[in-house]
Amino acid sequence: MAVGVVRWRTAARDPGLLLAYALVGAVLLGFVLYPTLRVISYPALADYLGIVDNPRWMAAVRNSLMMMVLSTTTATLVGFLYAFAMTRADVPGRRVFRSIALLPLFAPPFMVAFAYILMFGRQGLITRTLLGLDVNIFGWPGLWLVQTVAFFPYAALILEHVLEAINPTLEQAARNLGADERTVFRTVTLPLARPGVAAAMLLVAISVLADFGNAVVIAGALPLLATEAWFRIEGLADLTGAALSVSLLLLPTVLLFVLERVWVSRRLYTAITGRGSHLERPPTPWYVRGALLAFCGVVAVFVLLVYVAVVAGAFTRTWGYNWSLTLDHWRLGLAQGGGQLLNSVQIGAISALLTSIIALLAAFLTSRRQWPALERALDFLAVLPGALPGVFIGIGFLLAFNAPPFFLGGTPWILILALTFWHIPFGYQAAQAGLRQIDRSIEEAAADLGASGLRILRDIYVPLLRGPFLASFVTSFIRAVTNLSIVVFLVTPRNLVATYSILAMIGGGFWGAAAALTAALLALTFAAVALARLAVGRTIRALPVA
Amino acid sequence: MADVRLVNVSKRFGALAAVEAVTLHVPEASFTTLLGPSGCGKTTTLRIVAGFYAPDEGDVLIGGRRVNDLPPHRRQTAMVFQEYALFPHMTVFENVAYGLRMRRVPPAEIRRRVLAALELVGLRGVEDTFPARLSGGQQQRVALARALVVEPEVLLLDEPLSNLDAKLRVRVRAEIRALQRQLGKTTIYVTHDQEEALAISDRIAVMDRGRIQQIGTPLEIYHRPANRFVADFVGLANFLDGEVAAPGQVRAGDLTLAVPDGPPPGRRVTVVLRPEAIRLHVQPPRDGENVLRGVVAQASFLGTLARYWVTAAGRQWMVDVPSPGEGVISGEVFLEIPRERIHLLAAE
Repeated sequence: MAVGVVRWRTAARDPGLLLAYALVGAVLLGFVLYPTLRVISYPALADYLGIVDNPRWMAAVRNSLMMMVLSTTTATLVGFLYAFAMTRADVPGRRVFRSIALLPLFAPPFMVAFAYILMFGRQGLITRTLLGLDVNIFGWPGLWLVQTVAFFPYAALILEHVLEAINPTLEQAARNLGADERTVFRTVTLPLARPGVAAAMLLVAISVLADFGNAVVIAGALPLLATEAWFRIEGLADLTGAALSVSLLLLPTVLLFVLERVWVSRRLYTAITGRGSHLERPPTPWYVRGALLAFCGVVAVFVLLVYVAVVAGAFTRTWGYNWSLTLDHWRLGLAQGGGQLLNSVQIGAISALLTSIIALLAAFLTSRRQWPALERALDFLAVLPGALPGVFIGIGFLLAFNAPPFFLGGTPWILILALTFWHIPFGYQAAQAGLRQIDRSIEEAAADLGASGLRILRDIYVPLLRGPFLASFVTSFIRAVTNLSIVVFLVTPRNLVATYSILAMIGGGFWGAAAALTAALLALTFAAVALARLAVGRTIRALPVA
Repeated sequence: MADVRLVNVSKRFGALAAVEAVTLHVPEASFTTLLGPSGCGKTTTLRIVAGFYAPDEGDVLIGGRRVNDLPPHRRQTAMVFQEYALFPHMTVFENVAYGLRMRRVPPAEIRRRVLAALELVGLRGVEDTFPARLSGGQQQRVALARALVVEPEVLLLDEPLSNLDAKLRVRVRAEIRALQRQLGKTTIYVTHDQEEALAISDRIAVMDRGRIQQIGTPLEIYHRPANRFVADFVGLANFLDGEVAAPGQVRAGDLTLAVPDGPPPGRRVTVVLRPEAIRLHVQPPRDGENVLRGVVAQASFLGTLARYWVTAAGRQWMVDVPSPGEGVISGEVFLEIPRERIHLLAAE
C-alpha cells in the first residue's frame, strides 16, 4: 500500500512517462482489443450454437484442421532436414541453400500458389508442356504442396538455430562413449532438438491455419475457415457468417499461440546449452552428405521454380499456348496497377513506421519494472496481434471502423491502421531483444544525471535501438506491401492496393499481368531489404555489445 | 554541498530483506564507505540514496530535505557505476556534457565545464573518442568526470575500481581520495574490499545481511571491531573464546591471558588478536607477559612480511612478522602477546 503511494508520487513527477503509458495503452486497446471483441461479439450466441448443424461450417473446420496437420508435418520435416544440412559445415553449398530458404519469406503470401498453377496446373509448363499430363492442381493436394514450400523456411530457420546451439561436445561425448553416428543422432541430437521441433511445428501450424493467400488461389472448391470469411462477404455480404468463421479460426490459433509462448519457449531455454566450447563437428559420412545434398537440391528447385514461374509468366505472351516473349503484360499490369503499387508503397511505409514507433515505445514502457500489472497488460496487448490471423484483423477493422462512430472505410487509413497493429508483435519482439542487450546501468546513469523517463527513451534507447528499429521497419514494410489477408476486406475502389489487383487478375485469368505486377512487387521488397542492409552497415558505429 | 541522512531505512525484494533499519549519517564533505560482502545491502543502500529504489520504510534526507519521493533525475546526486555505464553512442565529450545538457546549461559554459572536468581527472585530448576505444582506466575517469561535472551535492561511487587491475586500482583510489578532498564533496563509496575501505575512508559503515554492524573511522573499525563479523571481515584475526577469570584475566581452556581491564569476572568473551599484534621470538623473551612456547607448523613468505601458523597452548596462532629479511624461521618459537593489543568482544 505504502509502496504504491510512493510509486504514484514518484510518477507524478514524470508526467511525460505517465502520458506515454496512457497513449500506448489507449491505442492498443482501441486498435487491437476493440476490433477483436467486436468480431467475437458480432454473431449471436445462436449463430455460434448453429455451427454444428451446418455441414458447410463443419467441412471448413475439418478441412482447416486436416490441412494444418498435413502441411505442418511436411513443412516441419522438410525444414528439419534442411536445417540439419545447413548446420553441417561439410555439406557443400550450404550458404546458397540458406539464401534460397530465405526467399519465400519475402514473397507475397499467394505467390507460391500462383506460381505452382503456372508450373503444375492444367496449362502448366512442367505438367502439360513438358510432360504432357493433364493435372488438376486445385484442391487439397495442391494446397498441401504449396503450403509445405511456403512455410518450411520458418521451420528451417528456427531449427537451424536450435541445431546450431547444440553443443558439439555433447555429441562428441556420446561418440566417445561408443555411440555410432546413427545412435548419436537418435539419442543426443534429436532429443535435444525436440523442444525446437515443437516450437517450429506450432509456428508453422499457426501460419497454415491463417494462410489466406495460397488457399484463396489454389484451394478451389475446398471450404476452409481462412477463406470462408471472404466468400461470405464477397458473395453473400454475410457479415455474421464472416465473423463466425474467423472466430472459429481464432480458437485453434490462440491455443497454439499460448502453447508456444507458455510451454515451448520456456523449455527451449533449458534444452540449449551454452556455446562454451568450439569443438568442431566430426565429418558427416559421405552417404549422409550425399543424401542431404540431393534433398536440399530438390527443395531448392521447388523454391526457385516459384520465382522462375512468376518472372517467366510476366514475359510470356499466352501461358501454356504461345511461349513467345512480350512486354505487353508489363504495359497492361502497370497501367492498371501502377497507381496501386504506389498506394501499396505509401501505405506500407506509413504503417511500418507507425508499427516500429509504437512497438519501440511499448517495449520501452513494458521494461520499466515500475508497475508490473500495467506492464503485463501492455505486454499482452502488444503480443496479442501475433495470435490473430490476418483475416480476423481484416474483419475486425471492417466491423469496428467501417461504421459510425469510427468511420474510416474507403480511406487509406483503415488499411494503414490494420496493418500497423497486426505487425506490432514483430517490432515489439525486435525492440525487446535489443533492450535486453543494453545494460540497465546505462539508463540509470542517464536518470542519475537528470534525464526523465521520456528523455531516456530519446537520448539512450532510440539511438541504441536503431538496428532493431530498422529491422522492424523493413519486416513490417514487406509484410504490409505483400499483405492480402487483411486488405481484401478493407479495400474499396478508392483505396486499392497492388495485391488486391493481382488477386483479381489471377481470378480473371490475366496471368501475364498478374505475374508482371507480382514481379514488380517482388523487386520492391528486395530493394527495401537491400537498402536496409546498406543503412544498417552505416549506422553501426559504437554498439555496446557486438 | 549537503549531508546525507538515512533514518531507519528498510527495503525488501519479495521475501528478501535487502536493507533493514539502516540509520546512517554522512556528514557534509566527508568520505564514507559502505563495506561488506556481496549481498549485504550496501549497493541497495547506495541506490536508495540515488533514488533508483524507493525505501519501503524510513526516510532519506539530503541536505536536511526529505527526498523519498524524488525520482533520480530530480536529486542532486551523481553516481559512478561499477561498469561505468558510459553511453556507447556518445563521444567522451557528449558523455560528460550529458548532465549539463539536462540542466539546460548554455553550450559555451558546457564546453568550458566539460573540458575542466576532464582536466581534473587528467584526461584531455580524447573528447571526440567513443568510450569503447578507451582503456578501462580511462573509461573510469570519464565516468568520474561525468559525475563531477554536474557539481552534485552528493557523489556516489559503486565499486568504481573493481574492473581495474590491482596496480591501477591502488593509484586511482588515491586520486579519487585526493580529488574528493580538493573539492570537499560529500561522498558515499561502496566496496567489498576492506583494504580499499581502510585506505580511502573518513568513516566506514560495515554491513552484513542488510544491517549496519558498525560505523567508525578505519582505525576504530580495525582495532576496536564491534562484533565478531566486523573483526573477521576487516583484516585477519585470531579468535579465542573464554571467560573472564579475574579483572584483567581471561581463561580459555587451560590457557590464561592477561588482558585489558573491562568486563566483570564470569562474563564470556571472545579475544580478538590481529596477527601482527603477536611478537615472535626465537629465544624466550626476558620479562614479557603472555608468553607461549610453540612450534612453527607452517610458514609463508609474502614479500613485505612473513606469515606463520604456530601451534602453541593446544591451538593454532596466525602471526605476521614484518620485513622478514633473509628467511623464515622454523622449529621452536616463543609467542609474546602484549596485553594492550588484545581486543575483547562480548561473546555472541
